Amino acid sequence: MTGAERLRALGLLAPAYLWLTVAVFLPLSAMAFFSFLTDVPFGDREWAFTFDNYAQALTNPTYATLLWKSLKLAFWVTVWCVVLGFPCAYILARMIKGRSREVLFLLVILPFWSNALVRVFSWAIVLRGNGVLDRAVNAVLPWDVKLNLMFSETAMVIGLVHSYLPYVILTTYLSLQAIDDTVIEAARSLGARFPRILWRLILPLAMPGLIAGAVLVFVPVVGSFMEPRLLGGRVGTTYGTLIEDQFVAVFNWPLGAALSFILLAVVLVILAAASPALRKATT
Amino acid sequence: MSEVRVEGLTKAYGPTKALDDVTLTFPEGGFFGLLGPSGSGKTTLLRAIAGFVQPDHGRIFIGDQPVEGTAVEDRNIGMVFQSYALFPNMTVAENVAFGLEVRRVPSGDRARRVAEVLELVQLGPLGNRKPQDLSGGQRQRVAMARAIVTRPRVLLLDEPLSALDRALRVDMQIELKRIQREVGITTIFVTHDQEEALTLSDQIGILKDGRLVRHGPPRAVYDDPQDAFTAHFLGEANILTGRVEAQGLRLTDGTLLPGVTTARIALRPEALTASIEQPATPHRLQARLVQRIFSGAMGTCILDWQGQTLKLTAPDRALAALPETGGPQVWLSWPAGAALPLRDPR
Amino acid sequence: MIRHAFARAYLGLILIFLYAPIAVMAVMSLNASEFYALPFRFSTEWYERLFTNDEILAAAWRSVWIAVVVAIIATALGTMATLALWRHDFPGKRILQALLFPPIAVPWLITGTAMLIFFFGVGIGRGTPAVIIGHVALALPYVIVTVFARMQSFDRALEEAARSLGARPLTVARKVILPHAAPGIIAGALFAFAVSFDQFVVSYFLAEPGDSTLPVLIYSAIRKGFTPEINAVSTIIILISMAVMVLAARYAKFGGTR
Repeated sequence: MTGAERLRALGLLAPAYLWLTVAVFLPLSAMAFFSFLTDVPFGDREWAFTFDNYAQALTNPTYATLLWKSLKLAFWVTVWCVVLGFPCAYILARMIKGRSREVLFLLVILPFWSNALVRVFSWAIVLRGNGVLDRAVNAVLPWDVKLNLMFSETAMVIGLVHSYLPYVILTTYLSLQAIDDTVIEAARSLGARFPRILWRLILPLAMPGLIAGAVLVFVPVVGSFMEPRLLGGRVGTTYGTLIEDQFVAVFNWPLGAALSFILLAVVLVILAAASPALRKATT
Repeated sequence: MSEVRVEGLTKAYGPTKALDDVTLTFPEGGFFGLLGPSGSGKTTLLRAIAGFVQPDHGRIFIGDQPVEGTAVEDRNIGMVFQSYALFPNMTVAENVAFGLEVRRVPSGDRARRVAEVLELVQLGPLGNRKPQDLSGGQRQRVAMARAIVTRPRVLLLDEPLSALDRALRVDMQIELKRIQREVGITTIFVTHDQEEALTLSDQIGILKDGRLVRHGPPRAVYDDPQDAFTAHFLGEANILTGRVEAQGLRLTDGTLLPGVTTARIALRPEALTASIEQPATPHRLQARLVQRIFSGAMGTCILDWQGQTLKLTAPDRALAALPETGGPQVWLSWPAGAALPLRDPR
Repeated sequence: MIRHAFARAYLGLILIFLYAPIAVMAVMSLNASEFYALPFRFSTEWYERLFTNDEILAAAWRSVWIAVVVAIIATALGTMATLALWRHDFPGKRILQALLFPPIAVPWLITGTAMLIFFFGVGIGRGTPAVIIGHVALALPYVIVTVFARMQSFDRALEEAARSLGARPLTVARKVILPHAAPGIIAGALFAFAVSFDQFVVSYFLAEPGDSTLPVLIYSAIRKGFTPEINAVSTIIILISMAVMVLAARYAKFGGTR
């Protein structure tokens, strides 16, 4: 690479990376800094360095309970996404061919690229007491049923699964599609039936995609706050809403920053644990 | 180990017939090569025997059992794929053990048989490797070991050597033949490489457009191709056409070839001799030498006869008397038995 | 064949799960009753009201133009960066590529609150400029990944052929490389538009109250209580974003279903 080329590459790269620095990397650093302050350092406010925010975030039983609750929520949403998404990806990748596969695949992925907030809102309409689902069920069943799903953990799980299911389908689909057909044929020629082929070949070969999908679901769900607010109502207090409150209601930014950083640490641990599989899935 | 037989096998994909009324017996313990250009139906035939292709008509027997209604996984076959299709998530030993695991062979037995078969294919110490870490030839051996360890009734090989480079392919041909002899399984293999088919097979079958054109022992088919397609496809052939007269075949340039009773004959390039002087045999004709090509031990002459290109191959020494560049008329002659009669309609 | 019937039925159920609530919302936006009462009576009242609601219209307009601005900036910067990453090998290239993942992988809640803190600290504060800066950062990785994927199918020999015919580097870029990248750039721009137009979390922390984007407005409206107008505007939003994505998918599908 000559000097001129080096300069040209630098010129092409600089704007994008400067932008990312200003908009993402500096803010994350600023947040790290803030999380050790007693108060925001704006104007003539008094501030000092402290570990109190972390102490508070880690020792306050309410915060710990909420973090645990968010982790559990993310766990169950991930489980449901994997359980529902894997067969769907399998059918799309290995049982349907040609044009109809393209169309169906797009149909499955499309909601994921449409407005998340609006989709959660649409569930609110469906699930609300005496709402569409209640009536539909009552129209079918002879006795009176009160589902009352709205403002429950179930509603939160349904809405979040709806939001993130396409992730799992997408990543799993990609790794399932990469499986060579003749490998399956070879297993059949050796006498293996479908359950064994599924267990010994398809699942292990799809695992990088499944793990990638699971991480892509788990990470944002731990930090979700909009879905729990809209679908969980009073039970919808999560670690995410706790952080939201620090910034938009309580205005305790340093505590919010510390809580955010603990969440980030959790996320990083998960990403690190899954990174071998993620690397495999992207190559 | 069993004889395999197909009767009246037909399979159409839309308007094209991939298999058209194929009847053929693959002898027990034999090495049978299916040969043909691409699209000839050879792979379809193999996959029909395996069970991956459902024939429209016809029967398939493995041993005495009809298997048309039997799923692939119940046919007890061994198959080696062109791409080898090794399981990428398993080690070599796990790949080989897979068929035994399916058959619920106890684990001690399993390990012993895996070790034995890896020894047979000379991969003894590589059991713990992953397929990705092996060379092409080694993968081929793993695929072979995996297919034979279950002692299948028939071994099906789909272009097993085509992914290897030429030198390795020749080694593996010898190796394949040795392994097949040692285990003695009825083996059917598909190839588009005629030399490979001639080297390996006890019997060959030639397919064209879904039909079986010829079958038999390789030498018999080579020495008596009987039709132009077989003559061209198996080895090379110069085909001469004329009119049958009482004394023999009258070629278009007036030459009379005595004793020939068919309107067309095939002459192998290696059966021809070239000379400047007229040879003392009636089995000859005169052609113009276009080019003499040196290619190592063997030389090739390209000749023009009545506007038709003929080819001759001979040890380069035998061609020394001919000029390097083309132009002059030369005589081509051949032994009486070398004119192979072609009986198929044109 | 029974297995195929099962498979199709399952796929059907998943599609119902994915689309039924959206369909219900769309239908209810055309129902006369404010309380979603059945039987259904057709009415376009809520759409009519929508178009006289200045607050919603202003937010919608803001959302659209912000998304357009974001798409333009992110596509320009992203395409430049991609060409450098694709064209040149240099030390640190892998690090630069890895740096694209934090904006995607870190939950938006964290990114959004961090931006809020930082922008306040440096004096940008909340408001539309902050929203644009944030959205561009979120959209950049998508543009780069999409254009890069497109460039993978570029045959380097083409470039060499053009050079051998006497074309200068800039001419090669204009006549050979950019035309090849075009579908990827268009897809990247559409992705960027969608990221911005649908973005809620980051907008929520960065938009000024009273000067917010459509998703933020909808969020606060829902928290106050549903109104069918929200149904109507949500239906429009989802139709727009799905249309944009169908377009992007068409351009992004450069050869093969991958």
